[in-house]
Amino acid sequence: MSDFWTVTGFTFRNKVKGKAFVVTTIILVLILSLVINLPYIISLFKGEGGNDVEKVGYVSVQSDMLKSSVTPTLIGGWLKEYYESQPEESRSLTMVPIEGSGDAAADESLLKKAIADGKVDGYVELTPNKATGFYDAVYKSEKMMEGSIATELRSGLQIVKTNAAGLTDAQKKLLYAPVEVSSMQINAGTGEESGRTAAQQGVNIGLVYAVLFLLFMSIMATGQVIASEVTTEKSSRIMEVLITSVSPLNSMFGKIMGMFFVGILQIAIYVATVVINVNIPTNKDALGNMNIHLNDASPDLLIVGLLFYLTGYFLYATLYAAVGSLVSRTEDLGQAVMPLTFLSLGGFYIGMFSLSVPDSMLVKVTSFIPFFSPYTMVLRSGVGSVEYWEIGLSLVIMLVSIYVFGWLSAKIYRTGVLLYGKRPSIKELRKAMKAYKI
Amino acid sequence: MKPLVVEKVVKQYGDHTAVNGISLEIDRGEIYGLLGANGAGKTTTMRMVLGLIFPDEGKILYDGKPYSKEQLRQIGYLPEERGLYPKVAVSEQLTYLARLKGMSAADADKSLKSWLERFGVPEYYSKRVEELSKGNQQKIQFIATIIHKPQLLILDEAFSGLDPVNVELLKSTVKELRDNGSTILFSTHRMEHVEELCRNITILHRSNEVLKGSLKEIKSRFPRERVRLAAEGEIKGLESLPGVLGVKVLEQGGYEIRIADEASGRGILHHAMSQAEVSRFEIMEPTLNEIFIKTVGERHE
Repeated sequence: MSDFWTVTGFTFRNKVKGKAFVVTTIILVLILSLVINLPYIISLFKGEGGNDVEKVGYVSVQSDMLKSSVTPTLIGGWLKEYYESQPEESRSLTMVPIEGSGDAAADESLLKKAIADGKVDGYVELTPNKATGFYDAVYKSEKMMEGSIATELRSGLQIVKTNAAGLTDAQKKLLYAPVEVSSMQINAGTGEESGRTAAQQGVNIGLVYAVLFLLFMSIMATGQVIASEVTTEKSSRIMEVLITSVSPLNSMFGKIMGMFFVGILQIAIYVATVVINVNIPTNKDALGNMNIHLNDASPDLLIVGLLFYLTGYFLYATLYAAVGSLVSRTEDLGQAVMPLTFLSLGGFYIGMFSLSVPDSMLVKVTSFIPFFSPYTMVLRSGVGSVEYWEIGLSLVIMLVSIYVFGWLSAKIYRTGVLLYGKRPSIKELRKAMKAYKI
Repeated sequence: MKPLVVEKVVKQYGDHTAVNGISLEIDRGEIYGLLGANGAGKTTTMRMVLGLIFPDEGKILYDGKPYSKEQLRQIGYLPEERGLYPKVAVSEQLTYLARLKGMSAADADKSLKSWLERFGVPEYYSKRVEELSKGNQQKIQFIATIIHKPQLLILDEAFSGLDPVNVELLKSTVKELRDNGSTILFSTHRMEHVEELCRNITILHRSNEVLKGSLKEIKSRFPRERVRLAAEGEIKGLESLPGVLGVKVLEQGGYEIRIADEASGRGILHHAMSQAEVSRFEIMEPTLNEIFIKTVGERHE
């Protein structure tokens, strides 16, 4: 047992001291901090420049004012009134009338001149639509992708359209009063009323997303490192010295445990980064404005996430170690770990694509299959509904498979580390196992 | 009770027999030479002694007891292909390896420092292995093998890749370990090292023992077939003497004469003395090199 901890300590110390660990950790901490602070940083820039109000020109023809029908000039006026009636800090458009003559070609060149002179940022052109009896609008400006202005104009036009229909103020009010619709997730099976509100659901989806991602990244990254460590030991032949000093089982699981602590340390650093950043008052406000409160996360999800993170890690790690032991050269490693990567990727994708349908049959079935259950069980407990016995059963299946695959991996490892040359086939491996009496 | 007894071990890999009934015994304070061409079964034999693989037949006893975890700690192994962690400091990996052998970290550190001092490279203590030259890595690997004061040493090509000065340094260390009572199984292709160090040897060829015994006894088994002759002047007519198979004129002066049997030597000496003043005459013992080539080479055909 002391050998086991010696290996664990050695692996841990060397990884944590390594450049790769320090650099990736620092970079990720910086990125995380930046992402969380981004809303606040953006708001800072906005605050200084004030609200950026787009000036939109339209043709105002004197003679049109006198007509009784709805003319482009009239609509432009209504729009101008509408935007001016909005509170100044949320106003994003202002309409600028340009005196025109009524001649389409001449007016257009007038408007273009207005853009060139900087009087307006763009202009709106209205053409009658026979089918609806109203006008279609085209927003023309020198910038590309002015989606937000077009949207703003559309909602403005929707409002002023009612002017053309001649509705009373009371009718308009009724028409525009927003209808409150909210959704709540309930558990139909238990009949409990402990449903989750939309906000909680949102936080949980975010959290499930984060856990899935973390699990996937962690399994991939640490798995690769474990496999390459084993291969390096094998190719540098230090393995021959090692296996005469320490039993393969201790050396394999010591390494896995060492890497596990490295992974945990890394995750702890990231979580601490997130928690500290989120709790900076400026960020708290910014997130609060977006209706995100981390207290909404359900504790069940965190516990299940942790349990399946642990079991998932050990299941994959033992297999990565076994694969690493079969390869003699680091160059061949990428190809050899491919099946494991795909397996992990499969579980990850099932989880990701089922975020909105957490109770589908696929998710239910895969939440009991060892290599996928870390992903899908987290998903079910986070956003779907799941019974405690189901989580328990899935965990037991995981533990049994860890035992089985751990045993198998240890055997492969014991044989693999002595086999040099090309990667052995399954048949050759079995032959070697028999020959070595393992 | 001999520290290491290997009794008729057999190892088969599928249809191929890698080791076929090899036996050997090593005493305390003895260096035993295990020789053989490439692929003769040396590595498999050593791996079995190390307990990495188990023999199909026969047994291996350490101090009269079968293989156990405790025995493992008493073994120091220097593999043929050297291996250390390239990116880890010397002090760190050597204490790691020593601790795996059951040494305390403090003892390991002390032992390491004294060995580095002994090999005249104390400055390597905190260097990474990849920073060292190949020969110096070799020294570090050697220290890694003996740092935990093993009773049984298994050295596979211990001196390859070293300059003559360092070979002498390591050789004297090996001798010292032997004199302190270590049991050493030694494998090499350098026959002069074997002649200098080993008392008993086994030559393996294609998984079988072909020659075994004490070096002296083996040598006496092979006929003396070479005569070294040096004289003040030129000696003519050596080729025509009875029992002479061939004559080679040596660059540094003198002759090397191959003879059919030892008795022909007398005739050569008489012949030479009648022509010039003889400064050297010796009927040479066969070298191990010759014996090896003879034994292994002949069976090759």
